[in-house]
Amino acid sequence: MESWQIVHIPDIPSIPPDQQPTVDVIASFIDPKVANTLVRRLNQIAQLESLRHVKRVQKKFVEGGRTQLSVIICLASENGNPLDSIPHDVQELMNSYQLSPFITKVCKYAALSKEEWEEQCKLWPTSYHPPTYNIDGITGFSEEDSELVFGFMKYAIQLAKSGANTVVNAAVIVDPSVKQVIATACDQLNKTTLETYFFKKPEASISHSESDGVLSYETPHSNSLPNYSKQLYTGVCCLYPWRWAEQQSDTNSCSWHPLRHAAIVAIESSAARDIHLFPSLGKIQDKYGEMDHTQSSSAGSPAKRQKTHSTNVNDEVHLDTDDEGSSSLSVRPYLCTGFDIYLAWEPCIMCAMALVHQRIRRIFFAFPNPNAGALGSVHRLQGERSLNHHYAVFRVLVPEEVLSKAAAAENN
Amino acid sequence: MASLGEENPNDTLIFMDLAIEQAKLALDSLEVPVGCVIVEDGKVIASGRNRTNETRNATRHAEMEAIDSLLQQWREKRLSASEVAEFFSKCNLYVTCEPCIMCAAALSIVGIKEVFYGCANDKFGGCGSILSLHSSSSEPLMSGGAPPGKGFKCTGGIMASEAVSLFRNFYEQGNPNAPKPHRPLAHQATQ
Repeated sequence: MESWQIVHIPDIPSIPPDQQPTVDVIASFIDPKVANTLVRRLNQIAQLESLRHVKRVQKKFVEGGRTQLSVIICLASENGNPLDSIPHDVQELMNSYQLSPFITKVCKYAALSKEEWEEQCKLWPTSYHPPTYNIDGITGFSEEDSELVFGFMKYAIQLAKSGANTVVNAAVIVDPSVKQVIATACDQLNKTTLETYFFKKPEASISHSESDGVLSYETPHSNSLPNYSKQLYTGVCCLYPWRWAEQQSDTNSCSWHPLRHAAIVAIESSAARDIHLFPSLGKIQDKYGEMDHTQSSSAGSPAKRQKTHSTNVNDEVHLDTDDEGSSSLSVRPYLCTGFDIYLAWEPCIMCAMALVHQRIRRIFFAFPNPNAGALGSVHRLQGERSLNHHYAVFRVLVPEEVLSKAAAAENN
Repeated sequence: MASLGEENPNDTLIFMDLAIEQAKLALDSLEVPVGCVIVEDGKVIASGRNRTNETRNATRHAEMEAIDSLLQQWREKRLSASEVAEFFSKCNLYVTCEPCIMCAAALSIVGIKEVFYGCANDKFGGCGSILSLHSSSSEPLMSGGAPPGKGFKCTGGIMASEAVSLFRNFYEQGNPNAPKPHRPLAHQATQ
């Protein structure tokens, strides 16, 4: 790698626009004169909850300048004869308008690009809303923001190889609005590493990330520079989630834990920090109430929700604090709402889902995880549309030069 | 009777009942009501319930609590990693709601033997609803010689209505703390 680079890893695997998943629906040609009444009635008794992006009516121009309308009656059942599974009231409506149903295909998911949308409309018209939301970075990073990202990533990588003898995964949770480290952690399969990071590092890093926006940090000590492209890195939990059982018992460590991956520990640490800084819940709870209300009222696309989400976060961040803890602390956010996490390696599915639960806003990782990576390598959790929270995922390409420099510094 | 263990449907109900007791404890503490017990050789050896609000850590699901409590016990006995792995491989989990993606992955990582759950988890479920982390064969082929994930046997729908009614109670009383908690009953996400 020659230079730093941030690559957005999108929500869906890039499938060709003409291979989008479809579902069968029952449709019928209708007389344009009854279209309004019929559609209104259908919207009452046969809502297309899962197909909000699909237009109910298709309009086609046929020979002689005539327009031909067809309407989606309902979803076609996947089992058995679809026409037998039409709900009774829908069937009655069809009978009263003497509709003759046929099965057709519509695209299952809303289009995410203009190209997808154009393909979708060849099957059946859909609506397309270009993404109005922007989790900062999806459309690119400013130079200043990039520098911050690189700085935090460098920090995460150095934590990853700061252990006594093995390279592990490391996590740094950051509040980007104040450029502050919230928590850091390394894999803790072995508890001897717990003392090192859980207690010392977070303090050190918080005090070193000052408000001038430039992240400075102490270089953790290490004996060797790992060759990131060639080694196996068996100490990285997310790469080998099932390997813990094979580990030799270390006589010094009577306690270890197969699930203490860096991200999980960092979440725990940020939660502990939250309780420490904001022991009482009172005032914050009201804020959640509002937030919840705004969020649920924007029911519909995750995009909308996301927008509301981040707006709220910003509002919160800029509010005055209660003077609890240090003055650099912002108002307590809900879980990790608005926070970013930097990971040396792409997380496994357990960690990736934990970060959904904890409402992380953006994930940056440096090295992909072909064994068990959940953000594009093996799974792509950011593309699971049923989840209630969606983060943006970025891979940060780290120049070799930076890695060697880090090694030189460590050897001093 | 104990040796019949997981084969006995009565035992399954008895253990699920204990998991529901745990879920009720969560409900009493204004937590999303999910509870579980871990059973080895016909005996409950650990239990857990959701503590996400109390800990402000949204990963503290019942399953994670129970796994941690087991590890704590085994740590005190100074068991080795391979001994712990062997113990886990003899344990069954009874949980009121389908494990989420995170918990299903965790259960696979520790190598649990079998999971019995109540209601399905349409939004987060990791044992069939969204992903199928319990069936190791569904894991894509691993490259680089990494050991494949461990699957576990999974049976749902046990006392599901009891589990669901707890959720209903919870959402009626309102979750004071979380904007979007688990909603196994919620509609499919609309896109």
